[in-house]
Amino acid sequence: MEKITITLNVNNESHEVLVAPNDTLLEVLRDQLDFTGSKESCGEGVCGSCTVHMDGKPVRACLTLALEAENIEIKTVEGLANGDELSPLQQSFIDHGAVQCGFCTPGMLMSADALLNNNRQPDEATVRKAISGNICRCTGYAKIVHAVAHAHNPHQGCCDCNHKE
Amino acid sequence: MRLPRFEYLEPDDLTQALDMLASHKEDVKIIAGGTDLLVRMKNQLLTPAFVMSMKQLSGLSYIKNHDDTLTIGAKTTLADIVDSDDIQEGYTALAQAAERVGAETIQHHRGTISGNILQDTRCIHYNQSRFHRSGRQPCHKDGGKICYARDEGDRCYSTYQGDMAPALIALEAKVVLSKKDGKRTINLSDLFTSDGFHPFSIEPDELLTEIILPKQKNNSKSAYQRLSYRSAIDYPITSAGVMINSKAEKIKKARIVVGSMSRAPLFMVKASETLAEKSLTDIDAFKEAAGIAMDNAGTFAVHNAGSTLEYRCDMTFVMVLKALEQAAGIEK
Ligand SMILES: Cc1cc2nc3c(=O)[nH]c(=O)nc-3n(C[C@H](O)[C@H](O)[C@H](O)COP(=O)(O)OP(=O)(O)OC[C@H]3O[C@@H](n4cnc5c(N)ncnc54)[C@H](O)[C@@H]3O)c2cc1C
Ligand code: SF4
Ligand code: FES
Ligand code: FES
Repeated sequence: MEKITITLNVNNESHEVLVAPNDTLLEVLRDQLDFTGSKESCGEGVCGSCTVHMDGKPVRACLTLALEAENIEIKTVEGLANGDELSPLQQSFIDHGAVQCGFCTPGMLMSADALLNNNRQPDEATVRKAISGNICRCTGYAKIVHAVAHAHNPHQGCCDCNHKE
Repeated sequence: MRLPRFEYLEPDDLTQALDMLASHKEDVKIIAGGTDLLVRMKNQLLTPAFVMSMKQLSGLSYIKNHDDTLTIGAKTTLADIVDSDDIQEGYTALAQAAERVGAETIQHHRGTISGNILQDTRCIHYNQSRFHRSGRQPCHKDGGKICYARDEGDRCYSTYQGDMAPALIALEAKVVLSKKDGKRTINLSDLFTSDGFHPFSIEPDELLTEIILPKQKNNSKSAYQRLSYRSAIDYPITSAGVMINSKAEKIKKARIVVGSMSRAPLFMVKASETLAEKSLTDIDAFKEAAGIAMDNAGTFAVHNAGSTLEYRCDMTFVMVLKALEQAAGIEK
């Protein structure tokens, strides 16, 4: 089984990596490129903690071969912030207390970011559908749903949005 | 969870792909989106020597509207099917089925129609990690001689839980299977063998290249309904794809297909036939058909998809009835 050198474009930077055919994108991101934001939980497509973007679409990095990710723009949770400045979605997760243990958070953020890139003012049902492939064992989802729905769209009646000012 | 080792093949075009299949045959597995194949490989349910990618076969990604058919390329993603106006309007059941598969972030952007159709049959005793399975003797599907799902089961009864095939069979889909020196077009229903160990009649050197949907005459409407534990992520435990062809408010032809209750989607001939010449608002006729479909499906089902068999049978009635009501335009 020969290893192959490929170029991965992650968060707008090119990285040359030597990968084995059976390396998943998630393994290469975490173990070779130190993008440890993406988490492995189930490793079989169920939980969503490994969600990253490929050409802007949310996908499972644990069910993607690294070799299949060549020539595709990959974005991980590390690519959301602009330097030290958090994205409105990330800030909203903090403001709404949508992070507890934090293990699901990178995947949640990537699924939600993909939604917000197409629809900046989603209603709750749309948010719930967009994150329906991401499992959270801590928050009970309500805070996460509010954090996403209100990220670009602070809500009058929401104490977490108003708390910000 | 690590994948087992394999050699990766990346053909540049269809001709090269078919050549590779012809030379490696049983030793090669095709990867489309990989969301079914890689899970099984991680669980060491299969360890192919070669994995052949469809990545460069971009010519197999299309939805084309012709005079009397609609054709879909094998590599078309579920998201493209959900988004297609032609499919939403003319083949509603297919759009609904694609939309209900797993969750957007699992496979709608990478998962393909061919991978969805050709996903393996499943069983709670088999689709488990190697560690889990190592605790007891292998079952038929795992290369052994017993079945844990059915007492004294002399063969494998693993359940086909794909969402799109029941809708496609209701819509009378055909599939094109290509190989090095030729191709054949068969009814999608004939792709299924009803053998849990070996669920498909596709040969190892064949590639599914196209799905063909006929244009229906008269006024044709279709619908798909499914039940799963959670509305997202989980596979269906029963489902129904139906098509109703009508003229002047009378049903001319109906097709009822039940999914997730057997080794293959079940085309319910008797239930479908009872609807001929019935009115589109005849709710009693729909209930009768749903009852027949439930009874027939019940004789095939095995307790291996979670939940109780009784519940899955009862809910088959509900799925068929709801799908018929929706296709007839009388849903509540
Ligand atoms: C958590 C989870 C939930 C899921 N839920 C559902 C669900 O609710 N409903 C559902 O239907 N599926 C579900 N799936 C299964 C799977 O994700 C989908 O069926 C998906 O559409 C498979 O497509 P793919 O392109 O990823 O298939 P792949 O994994 O690439 O392929 C599947 C099989 O088909 C073969 N194959 C693929 N293309 C071809 C071709 N052109 N010619 C010959 N052989 C081919 C492959 O060799 C492989 O054996 C789920 C999967 C996961 C991990
Ligand atoms: S139905 Fe029986 S033989 Fe088939 S996978 Fe399940 S336990 Fe194994
Ligand atoms: S680790 Fe990829 S879905 Fe759970
Ligand atoms: S915050 Fe702990 S799993 Fe979601």
